[in-house]
Amino acid sequence: MGCMASMRTGLAVVTATCLTALGASASLPQSASTPGPLALRAAKILTCAQEGPQVVDQGVVLIRDGKIEAIERARGFTVPAGYEVIDLGERWLAPGFIDLHCHEAGYSLYSQINDLNDVVYLTNPGLRASVAAKPGVFSMRRAVAGGVTSVLYIPGSGSNIGGAGVLLKTGFHRFEENLIRDPGSMKLAQWGNPESWTIGVGMTFEHWNTRNTIRRGLAYAKRWREFEESGGAEPERNIQFDIFRDLLAKRTQVSTHTQMYQVVLMTLTMIRGEFELDVYLDHSSIGGWLAAEMARDMGVPAIVGPRSVDPATRGMIEWARNGHEGFRGLAAGYQERGMTEIGFNTDSPVIAQEQLHVNAAMAVRYGMNEVGLESVRGLTIVPARAAGIDHLVGSLEVGKQADILVTTGHPADPRTSMERVYIEGRVVYDAERDGRQW
Amino acid sequence: MKLLKMLPFLSTALVGLAWFGAPAHAYALQDDEAEAEDEEAEDEDESDAWYAIVGGDVYTGTGAVLRGATVLSKNGKIKEIGHDLFLPEGTEKLDARGMRVYPGLVALSASSRLTKGLFQAEPEPDFDPHLGVDNLHPDGRANAHLDTGNEEYDEVADIPTDADVLVEGQLLRQEIADSFDPFSQYLVLALSTGITTAEQSDTPVKLKRDEIKDVDMGPKNVYSLNFSLSNPNSRRQTREKLEKASDYLRRMKAWEAEGDKDKKEPSKKGVDMNYVRVLRGEVFAAFNANDREELLDIAHLAQRYRFRPVINGCMEGWTVASELGRAGAYAIVTPRTRSPKSEELVRPGGSSIENAAILHSHGVQVAVIPGNTSFELNGMTGRDLLHLPVEAGFAIRGGLDERAALDSITTIPARILGVDHRVGTLEAGKDMDAIITDGDLLHYQTFVQYTVVDGKLVYDKEEEIFFAHIRPRPELPALDPGEEPGEAEAVVDEEAPADEDAEEEAPPESEDDDEGEGADDQGAGEDDDGRL
Repeated sequence: MGCMASMRTGLAVVTATCLTALGASASLPQSASTPGPLALRAAKILTCAQEGPQVVDQGVVLIRDGKIEAIERARGFTVPAGYEVIDLGERWLAPGFIDLHCHEAGYSLYSQINDLNDVVYLTNPGLRASVAAKPGVFSMRRAVAGGVTSVLYIPGSGSNIGGAGVLLKTGFHRFEENLIRDPGSMKLAQWGNPESWTIGVGMTFEHWNTRNTIRRGLAYAKRWREFEESGGAEPERNIQFDIFRDLLAKRTQVSTHTQMYQVVLMTLTMIRGEFELDVYLDHSSIGGWLAAEMARDMGVPAIVGPRSVDPATRGMIEWARNGHEGFRGLAAGYQERGMTEIGFNTDSPVIAQEQLHVNAAMAVRYGMNEVGLESVRGLTIVPARAAGIDHLVGSLEVGKQADILVTTGHPADPRTSMERVYIEGRVVYDAERDGRQW
Repeated sequence: MKLLKMLPFLSTALVGLAWFGAPAHAYALQDDEAEAEDEEAEDEDESDAWYAIVGGDVYTGTGAVLRGATVLSKNGKIKEIGHDLFLPEGTEKLDARGMRVYPGLVALSASSRLTKGLFQAEPEPDFDPHLGVDNLHPDGRANAHLDTGNEEYDEVADIPTDADVLVEGQLLRQEIADSFDPFSQYLVLALSTGITTAEQSDTPVKLKRDEIKDVDMGPKNVYSLNFSLSNPNSRRQTREKLEKASDYLRRMKAWEAEGDKDKKEPSKKGVDMNYVRVLRGEVFAAFNANDREELLDIAHLAQRYRFRPVINGCMEGWTVASELGRAGAYAIVTPRTRSPKSEELVRPGGSSIENAAILHSHGVQVAVIPGNTSFELNGMTGRDLLHLPVEAGFAIRGGLDERAALDSITTIPARILGVDHRVGTLEAGKDMDAIITDGDLLHYQTFVQYTVVDGKLVYDKEEEIFFAHIRPRPELPALDPGEEPGEAEAVVDEEAPADEDAEEEAPPESEDDDEGEGADDQGAGEDDDGRL
């Protein structure tokens, strides 16, 4: 009898959970294996699609094998049999955020970026961030809780070329599962940084040396291309320059820590104009927006952060030389000059990894126009395109990986809670299940 | 428009001249009469400064929201809040139609740069203007000169008497008032954020602009105690001093109860009067504590000696929230604090985004400060004193309700500073410290358009270089085109069509804000305006 009573209580609890939780939290996939087909129903879906509607109100997303199978208006749409329907009620869906400037996807004994900033020479194209990556570290767990599902883990700016970055998902526990692409980029830092070489080495030499390294690297890559295309004697392998084979074949990009007008010009004219490599402006602050028209015309995106304004204060106003009194929003500066590809980064740990969205919010606060959902696009599709992974992630579109955020409202708003995060259709964070992390 | 705005000032000035020109005996007579008169007569005194914020949605901070209402002040004190108010002749009016009116914000732990500005003492050695580092050293080295280094001597010599406490407090207030820079750009930046009261060295300071009169709002309301686990000596001393103060108060009570005035008053020897004041409830006892064990200890200490602790940091407060709630604690938290739990610990710990919400739900009074309580002017945004409401927004992310989030940057810090009878909410009798915003204060996009301190306009976004170029404020049709005092009644409904245009241009509300301002609210404001 007593046993019966307790059983009944148990059942009641289970029922209550089902009713009050976000739909079917009791049946959440807990294992790492790919779950069965899912249908997520939500009040608002921010697709961030390149074409078609940006927002679907009262919509359904079908997910199968970790990929998005369909996005439809819920009204009049019948979910096919065999799909687990999760009704998220008033929640919103958005694509997972992408941070193209992360130093926190690993952890060494001494500090987060200790393993990443080996300043051997002034240019070190042979070094790889991937060797320092560690899945599941605190900052990556926090990243997931903050909706950051992909990061470019890159070397620091201690030298002009710090090495190869690696593009990773944030939520899984094995490197192979997280790996999106290696090399994710070649990290270039132009003047202003690198800190370790600033004394005794000036702009003229740094630019000469960078140009020299890239020229030699590309010559090496071209020898290999010729060998692969037309045969002949196999060129001698030089692991310092292997990354240039990826750059030449447009399999990866140059992520350039650049700032200030004249340095941004150098990035554009040298990397894009002279060497014709795929490149994006990273940081791109301190008056860099003055070169926005040129960047736009050359098809070079700007990934802005961790700074979001050029303030009018002693020191800075002289440094930026933007002739602007007042707090000049950087994203607004690019936008006013016709730039459409504006993204955001954290330079984590400079800004905590999970706070990527704050930079989008601040961009809007300081003047960025948001009518086309620019703040959310800058967290998703813009960085995906810049890094050449927009065929995989960056928007909610059919065929892309199901990296989906479930939120209580506008994803950039500091007040919005991240309720659940899917990466490739798997729940990697659930505020109710895991306790709210951020 | 400008000139018209000046009219009340001009008329006041003229009246002033007239007064001085009057025969001395008449002046005295008038004065005596005024004293004898009731309030209504006072209302008619033409030297009074009347100020009205007209037609905004007034978020009083007491829970009440008055749509399209007017806040009227006299000589810097709120006289009335409501609809259809009678505005005396010569009232200066600020048009807040289509905007929101909130109480001025109260910033705890604010950098001394805020009020010292150019009078800031020479920087600490590790001060770096580019990094925006607060030059108050984290270990409080600025006060190092108070210690002799001789522990025994310090223990005896540093026990302050009543007089010491008084003098020390006065000196501090004098120092703050003397070093107040009323023209500092940091002051204007704080006003641009909506901060009208700030803590400087535990002392409440009114952020007046272009004047230094009455910036000192009173004595410090907290006394710092050290009960850190890492400092056993301080813990012992704190406990001993509390015990002695408690014992003294018991003896004093017994002596008073006995009523024998010939009997000698209980000795104060070895009694630290600061601790006596804590136990008498005259000041709060403040602690810096984050660790769960420390927080529990403080809660127990507070309950044993019956005082209310103010706990700065309180990072693991969410794990012991009910104990802190029972101890009547105040918590000063930074919702974005980020510190993982030590891997060695089995118990829950570390920072939590839900800290503020959990503490609040257990009855702890929660105040919010940003991670950087100075001005970050290196281009980073969103986490310094200029983004105090954004930090409160992160408490909402963790589950705190919007009302409590507003309280956490207004009335709760005002209570901690002991000035909640003057600031923190908009209520009749309190100081006319109000901010007018273009939307929900806690939305990241919202800017403060005007700041009013003690019934004077001290910040206008359009008139300062900092933010004027960002979403410029749309020009509204004149509040009352007649503008001549007394003639306003003639103008009633002509504004209606133009007003609708203005509404379209108003900055967007937060998308998940369910109390959006509809056309009806605007309409209500109009009616008021018509009757002014």
